[in-house]
Amino acid sequence: MARSIWNGTIAFGLMSVPVKLHTATESKTVSFREVHLDDGARIEHRRFCAKEDKEVPYKQVVKGYEIDDDTYVVLDKDEIAAAAGDGAHRIDVEHFVDVAEIDPIFFDRTYYLGAGKDGAGPYRLLRDALERTGRAGVGRFTFHDREYLTAVRARDGVLVLHTLRFADEIVPGSEIDVPRPGRGPGEREVKMAQRLVDTLHTTFRPEDYDDEYRAAVLAVIARKRKGEEIVPEDEPAADDSADLMAALEASLDGARKGGR
Amino acid sequence: MARSLWTGAISFGLVNVPVALYSAVRDLDIHFRQLHGKDGAPIETRRFCSEEDKEVPFEAVGHGYEEEGEDLVVLTDEDLAAAAPRKTRTIDIEAFVDVADVDPLFFDHPYYLAPVGEAEGNLRAYRLLVKVLASTDRAALGRFVLRSKEYLVLVRVRDDRLALTTMLFHDEVRPAKGINTGGRKPAKAQLDAATKLIEALSVDWDPGHYRDCYRERLLDVIERKRKGRKITAPSPGRDAGGPPPDIMDALKASLERVRAGEGFDRGADGGDADGDDRDGDRGGLEDLTRDELYERAQKADVAGRSSMSRKELIAALSE
Repeated sequence: MARSIWNGTIAFGLMSVPVKLHTATESKTVSFREVHLDDGARIEHRRFCAKEDKEVPYKQVVKGYEIDDDTYVVLDKDEIAAAAGDGAHRIDVEHFVDVAEIDPIFFDRTYYLGAGKDGAGPYRLLRDALERTGRAGVGRFTFHDREYLTAVRARDGVLVLHTLRFADEIVPGSEIDVPRPGRGPGEREVKMAQRLVDTLHTTFRPEDYDDEYRAAVLAVIARKRKGEEIVPEDEPAADDSADLMAALEASLDGARKGGR
Repeated sequence: MARSLWTGAISFGLVNVPVALYSAVRDLDIHFRQLHGKDGAPIETRRFCSEEDKEVPFEAVGHGYEEEGEDLVVLTDEDLAAAAPRKTRTIDIEAFVDVADVDPLFFDHPYYLAPVGEAEGNLRAYRLLVKVLASTDRAALGRFVLRSKEYLVLVRVRDDRLALTTMLFHDEVRPAKGINTGGRKPAKAQLDAATKLIEALSVDWDPGHYRDCYRERLLDVIERKRKGRKITAPSPGRDAGGPPPDIMDALKASLERVRAGEGFDRGADGGDADGDDRDGDRGGLEDLTRDELYERAQKADVAGRSSMSRKELIAALSE
């Protein structure tokens, strides 16, 4: 297992549980680096002063917050860090909630928590109690100079920490325009669609789904390496749903036969 | 309405609905701009060819793929677009699943889908999908490619609209192997006491209860700096240190406090970015209880006072 990226304590009530934070996720996207198409040489990003049109060494770069057009308040690293709070290595659990009540929209990143130094006993106790109650401890912690709202819960015998989004960061649906049709879907269409949903209903097993695009990109790379010309395949454009009922019926037929 | 991030179609069976994708998260983070310290002018980033030492226009930048022991392969945008064209334009629904079955660990970024255009058939198909998903607790599971990355996505209903959440693939979640999962099974009395404490500290999930104090403190630091005031870091807070010497005693004492309605002020919660607790410019606010502070906040019409802690009320009232 990778090294821990943070050490601290989960505090709830008068209890404290020494923990270590580990990354739980990693992107498996095929990664590229920027190259110059003419000669394949690596692209470098260089910093230039907009006024002087001269390259600026990193040491001379400062951070500014724009308070008005072209008017900045400059803050140094320590001043920005001053906003992070007291920097205590603590996850303060304010209270506990039912995990199932937290809407998926709030979940941001996930980390694993392992028992820290002298923490084996309290860790196991918290883990077992969270497992038994199905609850998550909601609290805050400071990581990399900023404060996060977090939920700590038990998952497959391990404590996980989710960072959560704040309510004011969530866009309410009312801000997204969705024109209504002149006539809503009819009863037959709804019934047919429900049957389609039932037919295609399955238990979610994440391992049933692989990143196919990753494989497709690697295939393009292999062809390009052999010097092949890459041309996109022709695909017929899908029809829009002018005849909803006919499309539903045909889909249901297809789904029953086991295809899509 | 914000600009859409992607347009394409959502397709289930033979029903195909043109849709646009909008982020369901607004960026409220405080962003800083890189400036040249000497003259305060903004920094521009320019792309240079490392070989020729010449600036390179964006159109002349390609995607280089390197593998150990192999030559560099360079792909253009067009090459990449040829990889899986349908996936970049269509969210293909493959199955319907129960939202509760999906572990939150897989969730990545939330979006909304809105129908594109005014065509009656499309609007009705969109409405049909909303209606059917809303009447069950099910979500559609599909896949599509956004910005050169494929995502497993969950499409469900939120606020009477289709809400899409990108998810990680199973192999993007690391196994928890090797993580120290603690000691021996706790004694029943301990587990019972811990369960009681958790129940006693349990509330309904109310996202509006939590404000981003970091953002507020950072804006406060910026404001102070603008006024030419000195910014000092707050005194380091007390780390909670190791585990309690006796778990059972700590659990019992915690429960008693919760039952007596007492809180667990750890002395450093929130932390004051300005570090001027001791400046004496707080007019004796430090000596007041939260209720007394709240009364003053009511008179001063402090916004958001009902959700503020005692410390936050003091901070707000000393502005």
